[in-house]
Amino acid sequence: MNQTQVPSGLNRLQMLALIVGGVGFVLLMIGWFLSPAQFFPAYLVGYILWMQVALGCLAILMIYNMTGGGWGYVTQRILRAGMLTLPLLAVLFLPILLGLPTLYEWARPAAVAHDELLQHKSLYLNIPFFIARTVLYFVVWIGLALLLNRWLLHLDQSFDLAAGRRLRGLSGLGLGAFGLTVTFASIDWMMSIEPHWFSTIYGFMFATGAVAAAFALAIIVLNWLMKRTSLVEVVSTLNVNDLGNFLLAGVMLWAYMTLSQYLIIWSGNLAEETPWIYRRTTGGWEVVGLLLTIFHFFAPFLVLLSRTVKRRINWLVNVAGLVLLMRLVDLYWLIIPAFHESFYLDWLMIVAPIAIGGIWLAAFIWQLKKKSLLPLYDAGVEEKLLDYGRTQTSTHS
Amino acid sequence: MQSSEMLGKTPEVQLPAPVIGPGYTYGSVTDKISSLVLSRRTPLAWFVAFALASLGTAMLFGTIAYLLYGGIGIWGNNVPVGWGFDIVNFVWWVGIGHAGTLISAILLLFRQQWRTSINRFAEAMTLFAIANAGLYPLLHTGRPWFDYWLMPYPNTFGLWPNFRSPLVWDVFAISTYATVSFLFWYTGLIPDLATLRDRAKNPLLRILYGIFALGWRNSAAHWNRYHAAYLMLAALSTPLVVSVHSVVSLDFAAGIVPGWHATMFPPYFVAGAIFSGFAMVLTLSIPLRKAYGLEDFITMRHINNMAKIMLVTGLIVFYGYMMELFMGWYSGSQYEEYLILNRMTGPYAPLYWALILCNGLIPQLLWFRGVRNNLLVLFIISLIVNVGMWLERFVIIVTSLHRDFLPSAWGMYYPTIFDWTMFIGTIGFFLTLLLLFIRVLPVISIFEMRELVPESENA
Amino acid sequence: MNNPTLYGLLAEFTTPEALIEATHKAHDMGYRKMDAYTPYPIEEVGHALGARGTRLPYIVLAGGLVGAIGGYLMQYYASVIDYPLNIGGRPLHSWPSFIPATFEMTVLLAAFAAVLGMLGLNGLPQPYHPVFGVPGFEAATRDRFFLQIEARDPKFDLEETRKFLESFQPEKVSEIERYKYPG
Repeated sequence: MNQTQVPSGLNRLQMLALIVGGVGFVLLMIGWFLSPAQFFPAYLVGYILWMQVALGCLAILMIYNMTGGGWGYVTQRILRAGMLTLPLLAVLFLPILLGLPTLYEWARPAAVAHDELLQHKSLYLNIPFFIARTVLYFVVWIGLALLLNRWLLHLDQSFDLAAGRRLRGLSGLGLGAFGLTVTFASIDWMMSIEPHWFSTIYGFMFATGAVAAAFALAIIVLNWLMKRTSLVEVVSTLNVNDLGNFLLAGVMLWAYMTLSQYLIIWSGNLAEETPWIYRRTTGGWEVVGLLLTIFHFFAPFLVLLSRTVKRRINWLVNVAGLVLLMRLVDLYWLIIPAFHESFYLDWLMIVAPIAIGGIWLAAFIWQLKKKSLLPLYDAGVEEKLLDYGRTQTSTHS
Repeated sequence: MQSSEMLGKTPEVQLPAPVIGPGYTYGSVTDKISSLVLSRRTPLAWFVAFALASLGTAMLFGTIAYLLYGGIGIWGNNVPVGWGFDIVNFVWWVGIGHAGTLISAILLLFRQQWRTSINRFAEAMTLFAIANAGLYPLLHTGRPWFDYWLMPYPNTFGLWPNFRSPLVWDVFAISTYATVSFLFWYTGLIPDLATLRDRAKNPLLRILYGIFALGWRNSAAHWNRYHAAYLMLAALSTPLVVSVHSVVSLDFAAGIVPGWHATMFPPYFVAGAIFSGFAMVLTLSIPLRKAYGLEDFITMRHINNMAKIMLVTGLIVFYGYMMELFMGWYSGSQYEEYLILNRMTGPYAPLYWALILCNGLIPQLLWFRGVRNNLLVLFIISLIVNVGMWLERFVIIVTSLHRDFLPSAWGMYYPTIFDWTMFIGTIGFFLTLLLLFIRVLPVISIFEMRELVPESENA
Repeated sequence: MNNPTLYGLLAEFTTPEALIEATHKAHDMGYRKMDAYTPYPIEEVGHALGARGTRLPYIVLAGGLVGAIGGYLMQYYASVIDYPLNIGGRPLHSWPSFIPATFEMTVLLAAFAAVLGMLGLNGLPQPYHPVFGVPGFEAATRDRFFLQIEARDPKFDLEETRKFLESFQPEKVSEIERYKYPG
């Protein structure tokens, strides 16, 4: 059966990623030593970008297990490798734990002592509970990833429809758990940087960003592999078209969520909410916002309307690259204005996503290399059997 | 690996039901669906249902007549609660309308073949639900004969609608949705009207179907553009359907009333709309397939899939309730906190808990395959969800308004008899239109069903 | 010389495969004024007829752009130029507020462009067409597949073309006449 082999170029890429990541981390350590106040926000932005990619892979894989579809069959192994980087990301979270008081106002006892609202929230926003919750999120995500991985590989070895059904059940429950944990993770890690502010759509926004980032990554990796392996013979135009449509849906949903939040807060014009959007639309930050409107929405949206682009992966990959870059800019725009009233960018903010990305990519390739690039099991197999069964019965009758 | 080996290894595993029963050919699919309209005797049940529905319609128009005479004071709306049954029912009906376009558009784009036998029916349901929804705000203006003022047009008063108001966005969203849904539905109908024109024995019917078929002749060149147009309509309808309930939610969220002003409202309302829409499709299609013997076209696969979509959207709605609770506390705003307390323990608390039961807890039964395959249980759950979604709108609108910021401005809302006659009347009107539709137009898309007929059947 | 009232020839097939094969061969033979009639859309038939992509997407794009730009400008004109009114202290040009109606106008005009464009390019409504006069043509909306070769095709010759169509063993080959009404 189909054993699409892993190309040797992957080893070189992995080495390169590891070197870039290693050098990056050395630079980050220097940055941390020089100025923790600069280091932590930059690290958080870079970290969450890759966290979103990994979480998106987990979510998409679970969705694919429930819906099936050729697009998922050809990207399954990419998504699998993506979600299996979660243990690494758990380790990479440790620096953030060391910087809690730098990042979060609620973690500074002096600030809480003078703020009634923070005292009210300290039931939820306190360091031990924060750590406990973060541990819980990682237990849920890593547990899901490992279990999914195990069952998917089991299906590779023995064709077992009952196991396929179990996998679907796990994915359904897993998506529910994913929705809850991701929501609270986004509140804890990002929203609580400005602890007075709240927005109920935040979890949806975070999850949408994660899924869009993961689709972008999947397209980029698929393109890289198609250039170098026999995968190019398996992936159909329709698969690429579907992935393009998902990327389109991702940018549209991102715009929808971001606009909904903006419009509602802007219309309400309440003192407890508007500071958040005010900060992000003044002092030079409005330029970043405008950049996002154009390059996170209008440009990819208009290009992806064209079927010609969606059906050619070497064109589509450019859009995917843009979307992944804009995911970084979006996170930067969501997080950094909390620390700087006017536009601010330093070298650590450039280094952090690259350094973490390098290490992440090395781990990703390590996982990708372990298995063939195509699985034996396809979540759409039941439908195929059904069609097969239908032709069988009709020819016999 | 050969498929036969796969089948041989696991004989005990039950395969999902097909999207069309076995043994159909292009001809028999065509004849069966068109016979429902053209030749089959109308079942007695249809007449009974039509008579009952017409009573409801009469009640609706009677209430409207009295409303035009007496003004909206005949409703229970009062000063703290300026939006009562009218807006509750408006949102409820708009929500029900969402499944139609969702099935037609999104499932088409995802190439989900199982949509084919339910899309036509669900689209018709959408149109009739919007018609009912539209009645409420139009009548609520108090002087419905001036409703054309809502439209932007150069006029001698020198006035324009206020585009900074969500209520004007609503006018645009609902009228666009109604128009585009109609276009989508009618475009889908054109080839089937041609089929009916060619099958009808009665010359008058042939002329009527012929007029509306616009001279469609199944030309390959026409199909080419038709297919392109249909896909583009689907691509346009998908964001549209999301925008409509989002704009409806902004009617609330753009204000600052606690319980209304939440950034989550747009996606949360959309999920609720799909939830209620699929519940209504199930409520209607389970009896319909039985009465008309459509079990081979609306198979258990359809029913099962719709149940799954209900489960997913129901979970999102439930997530919304949980987020409201959490953020109510997390916000630290005394008004938000009081709102939560008032919902759970105030005068309308029984409705809140009924809502949690109907929308949050009971739909969890849909996790079980046994439940999804049991038509009676599923039918009951779909009715419960319909009730639950109505309660959700009541809770959001009335409990938020009746006690907002100043205790001196608090009040209670009680619907009057006319609120009820109008509400029940709209249900009757909805069913009347639906029954007429079933009687005169094909409830299942004939040409798309022909596409599903397996090749071997026609050999 | 062909009969002036002759519109063309119509061959009737029972399977899509037979139709596709005949269409391919006819196209290879050089026939261009052709059309096929099928009970449901079949992409291959379009390809066999040599159909190229349709202009429809551009019409829809134009409709959408007119809706978007026109919708926004209408709101701008109404709220800023013609009827400036202070509402809740919001700026006259409140762009966030203008987005929902702009979006709806975009979709509305694009949808109209799609449907009217499709009907217009197809030449519909067209109450009468010669092919309706062929007895048995109503099966095109049931289970039969037809290939039509028009008399105005330069390669058309009544005898030759009929023989050519009959070589595919159709159910039957009928002549399509102009000015003949059904019934």
